[in-house]
Amino acid sequence: METRSQVKKAILFDTTLCIGCGACYEACKEKNSLPRTHNNFLRDTLSADTYTVVNRRAGRFVRRMCMHCDSPTCVSVCPVGALEKTAAGPVLYDESKCMGCRYCMQACPFNVPAYEWDEPIPRIRKCTLCADRIAEGLPTACASVCPTGATKFGDRAGLIAEARQRIHDNPGRYSDHIYGIEEVGGTSVLLLSDVPFDSLGYRMDLMKAPLPDLTWQALEKIPGVVTVGGALMSGIYWITRRRAKVRRALSEQAKDIESAGPGESDS
Amino acid sequence: MTRSGLPRLTFWRLVLVAILLAGFYATVIRFVKGLGASTALSDQFPWGLWIGFDVMCGVALAAGGFTISAVVYIFNIERFKPIIRPTILTAFLGYSLVIVALFFDLGKPYNIWHPIIMWNPRSVMFEVGWCVTLYTTVLALEFSPVVFERLKLERPLKIVKSLTIPLVIMGVILSTLHQSSLGSLFLIVPSKLHPLWYSPLLPLFFFISAIALGCAMTILESFLSLRAFRKSLEPHLLAALGKVAAVVLGLYLGLKLYDLASRGALARAFEPAYEGRMFLAEILLGAIAPMVMLAIPRIRKDQLGLFVSALMIVMGFIMNRLNVGITGIDRSSGVNYFPSLTEVSVTLMIVAIGFVIFSLAVKYLRVFEHEEKRFIVPELPAAAALNRPLKSAGALVMALGACFVAGAMALAYSGVRLRTAAASVAEAVEDAPGRAGASFAPPAELVIARSAASPGWVRFDHAAHINPERVDCTVCHSGQFSMLGAKLDTGGRVSTENSRKMDNCGACHNGTTVFGIRDRRDCAACHLTE
Repeated sequence: METRSQVKKAILFDTTLCIGCGACYEACKEKNSLPRTHNNFLRDTLSADTYTVVNRRAGRFVRRMCMHCDSPTCVSVCPVGALEKTAAGPVLYDESKCMGCRYCMQACPFNVPAYEWDEPIPRIRKCTLCADRIAEGLPTACASVCPTGATKFGDRAGLIAEARQRIHDNPGRYSDHIYGIEEVGGTSVLLLSDVPFDSLGYRMDLMKAPLPDLTWQALEKIPGVVTVGGALMSGIYWITRRRAKVRRALSEQAKDIESAGPGESDS
Repeated sequence: MTRSGLPRLTFWRLVLVAILLAGFYATVIRFVKGLGASTALSDQFPWGLWIGFDVMCGVALAAGGFTISAVVYIFNIERFKPIIRPTILTAFLGYSLVIVALFFDLGKPYNIWHPIIMWNPRSVMFEVGWCVTLYTTVLALEFSPVVFERLKLERPLKIVKSLTIPLVIMGVILSTLHQSSLGSLFLIVPSKLHPLWYSPLLPLFFFISAIALGCAMTILESFLSLRAFRKSLEPHLLAALGKVAAVVLGLYLGLKLYDLASRGALARAFEPAYEGRMFLAEILLGAIAPMVMLAIPRIRKDQLGLFVSALMIVMGFIMNRLNVGITGIDRSSGVNYFPSLTEVSVTLMIVAIGFVIFSLAVKYLRVFEHEEKRFIVPELPAAAALNRPLKSAGALVMALGACFVAGAMALAYSGVRLRTAAASVAEAVEDAPGRAGASFAPPAELVIARSAASPGWVRFDHAAHINPERVDCTVCHSGQFSMLGAKLDTGGRVSTENSRKMDNCGACHNGTTVFGIRDRRDCAACHLTE
């Protein structure tokens, strides 16, 4: 059990197989005890009460959920470490640490974390990749009920191999890209499609490198700024003070000379 | 000392009372009804006015504190000493009010202290939190001599005064980190922030503009102090500050141009889009106009000229922070955020509280050290008259200033109109029937245990209950039947009793949608009687 959960897990979603039956949507609601939010699930959106949706775009059914990034932006921006990337893949949230700054929401490239806006003590809500089920060796709820295999759960490496195989075995069927291998440094949700991902609402202009690198480039300069800045200012302070001292001394000297009269400046 | 007895009810006091009352009401709404009911924020737009204005501008407007204290103590340019205290006070108030604003904005404000013990050094917000905490403390210490003087506490006064230089150095470093880190906050949203504002140089832009802003705020404050409290500084000092601001603005503008050009985003400023117009308005009002005006000695040394230029810098940079925090995010968010009345009321209240505390401090503490001056030079116009032939400069200021402000306003207005025009173009989610049959495998046949009133077990055939043209699991599985636990034992939830109550099978087998459970004599259609 222990070793099984250490292998990085993932979900492979193949939009060419999805028939929009809503099983994943309902299973997720049931698993997380979430209330009904829409009378037509195809038009529902992610929210604090909906962790995954199936929408219809560009003539295809496409799921949205937390992508469980390998270098999650939300984890890196959270000032109190309330979000954590676990070894098996799920990105998990600890409400006891959270102070509600919502930087994770602002920073998430997929706009996934949702907030309980109407609660007096609001929490961040999002898909957990069924971390508790994974720990028990079960697939995610959504994958366990999918009747077509459009949503498949497994080891990430294995799923990537399978996705490549599907592209290889069905020439012309897929657009030659597996979304989630490289996007923002890799994600634990992988997507296959026969239409451009942009048209499904998945942005293709995201960086290939992990987004946290961007802020780290600024943050790593802090020790330098502190030491160099501190030394520089102390130095400048020392010089300007000394200059003022010298000036004062000189002017006093000049005064002395003036009052003593010419000819006695040697002493 | 003149004493007027009871405070008279003036127009501005009435405005103040109205703002405070509205703010108090908004505060109650915020904490009783929560963020959802009180703000225009949403999952798509999690940061609004409270972050964009109260926090980002509050910190930026406090930049006078570190700029002037570095000039006086580190660079030893003593002639700026008279304005140290008011700038430190403003900075301290600015930071304190940022913390107040955070109490409104944070979802769980009682956890605001968490970053002190729960560390995530990779988070810019963590750095921001620490900078706010530390720098507010430093500012309190830097300002404490004024209070100790008043209370005639000699010993603490001596101790704090001996710490002046280390405090100033710490303050400058913390401010440098903090001003720039507010820009760094947005480094992580390259795909969300409009390219006119997103830049790897954001931290640098925030820092440089904060210095110009610090100068401008100092100028404004001393003019306002003159009006309200008849206390002011030597005009030539302010003119010198204006000159510094112009140079810094030039640097800022040059860097900005270079950055935009090198990223190929310059052309976006001239697109007929909301963002382009707001960007041009911000740059025109906040950088080009005041730089040009302050570069002209006649305007710089003129009272009105200096005041108007400083005001432009402040307004322009408020626009800049709002553009980074709100305008630039608008398009990618897919929603049109506009602050709610509650958000605006709270913001106004916080600003008003700042003014009140500042005026109280000026009244009861020696914030302006050269108080005697007010008897010698009671009003600035007199001082300015010594400097300049006022008339010609005044006309020039009016003409230039009016041009720039009108230009910026026109740009912003046309931008807002473009935005409302573009608002209707939202991505539509289609709602058509699906492609059927992509290797669909219906779940296996189920056997449902016999319940008390049931004639027998039920064999449920999934395939018979599915429309192959449009498979929709949610018809039955949205609350009626469990998906995850529904192997055989459904925990007694599926039963004839429940079906009769139009629950379970009865939800569809009601005689209208399909045959009802009591319609047939032939129970064996569904039930296994054996």
